[in-house]
Amino acid sequence: MNKVAIVSTGQTKFSKEETNVEKSLFESSNKCIQATRNCDSKDIDGVLVSTNNNSKYLGAILSEMNDIQPRVSHSIEHLCSSGTNAIISAYSYISAGLADVVLVSGVDSATNPGQVLEWDKARGSFEHPIFWASMLTKAYKRKFHTTEEELAIVSAKNHKHAMDNPQAYSNEPKTISEVMNSKQITEDLRILDCSRSCSGSSSVILASEQTAKKISEQPIWITGIGQKTTSASFTKNPLEEIKSTHMAASSAYKMADIEPRQVDVAEVHDAFSVCELMAVSELGITSNEKSGEFVRNLFNTENKMINPRGGLIGAGHPLGATGISQTIEITHQLQGKSEKRQISDVRTGLIHNMSAAGTSSSVMVLAN
Amino acid sequence: MTFFEEQLEQGIFQICYCEKCNHAIWPPKEICHLCHEETKWKESMNRGTIIEFSKKDSVYFGLIEIDDEIKILGEILSSTEPEIGQRVKMAASFQNKPKYSFTVENN
Repeated sequence: MNKVAIVSTGQTKFSKEETNVEKSLFESSNKCIQATRNCDSKDIDGVLVSTNNNSKYLGAILSEMNDIQPRVSHSIEHLCSSGTNAIISAYSYISAGLADVVLVSGVDSATNPGQVLEWDKARGSFEHPIFWASMLTKAYKRKFHTTEEELAIVSAKNHKHAMDNPQAYSNEPKTISEVMNSKQITEDLRILDCSRSCSGSSSVILASEQTAKKISEQPIWITGIGQKTTSASFTKNPLEEIKSTHMAASSAYKMADIEPRQVDVAEVHDAFSVCELMAVSELGITSNEKSGEFVRNLFNTENKMINPRGGLIGAGHPLGATGISQTIEITHQLQGKSEKRQISDVRTGLIHNMSAAGTSSSVMVLAN
Repeated sequence: MTFFEEQLEQGIFQICYCEKCNHAIWPPKEICHLCHEETKWKESMNRGTIIEFSKKDSVYFGLIEIDDEIKILGEILSSTEPEIGQRVKMAASFQNKPKYSFTVENN
């Protein structure tokens, strides 16, 4: 397969305000195009848009707004993991030789239709994600003896990281005690255990090896990809595990020819606190039995290796943009451009993005 | 409205199943994904088991396995804290969306 690199990035600040998706898409994509070297609109031959928004024909609209007449353009929707799936699609087009330079832009507005999956009749009248998250949290606490404090540490840690992320929707710190005393949503979830839907857009440009070396001083290579869908309805999976993540990670590690212990930095899909504990375990970075202790150690030692940009809880969750924003963070970490969030000696980074209670997961491995 | 939804509106939870493969098809669909035969309907026994539960405000809710094969989320009507493995009786309805509620047996 032909090698594919991320050559440029651009994003808007995430916010709670309702925004126009076309305007946000243009803002992040325009920043992204301007950030390239010796590459302008006419060199881009693929435009993919990831979103849960109901607006139509966004691939063509974004192309026209940027004066691009691409060979490939369309939208991609896969709920919360639309972003990484759009990047994986762009990788595939380039790797197959169907495109050479692809702009991938993700967007969503604060009120978007991607939070509720109406098709899933198993949810009954409990259709909001807080209900499946409560089930996962309760079952995880029950099986692995995870404490309320360990769950709160995930949120406190990610809020702390987000303070150094200028694109995050909130830069307010939250202590463990503030998380544990925040508004109770259900018996097993506090408001600060939840990522918040928000507005925002993120863009990356991917290019073939030959072109990447021409238009970027620091191309970041996509070395591993795994995607796995176990179902669409959440009640078909065991509550205490996210099999799709485990399987997607195995594929990505195999393709990248690495072991989980070689991951230096990761953005994982902390839609809710428990999701981060489950993710780091399913990714093989730690085990379910030790996941609480693992995040406690990260927090106590100010180690930012998991969710340095603040994750979804700290940075906000504009569904279609989230996977792309995660990818931008890992790209910047590998380029040494993460400023206050920078982790030293980063060689391998990982992105974990998932949908609908972990029924589908996407994992990418990046290297510099 | 689908047949499943119309029946829910009447208070009947119809289980879609394949006679040939002898298993439930959930969510309901017209063709079995294994043998591609047309599926049939049978009324649920309206009995289930609590797999997991939580509470929002004063309302218990949880994941229930009904008829030993289909897992759904619904309200648990119980004056005391539910227990995993407890047997429940289901009442189903439909008003814009399905609504499932469960009463703990011998409550």
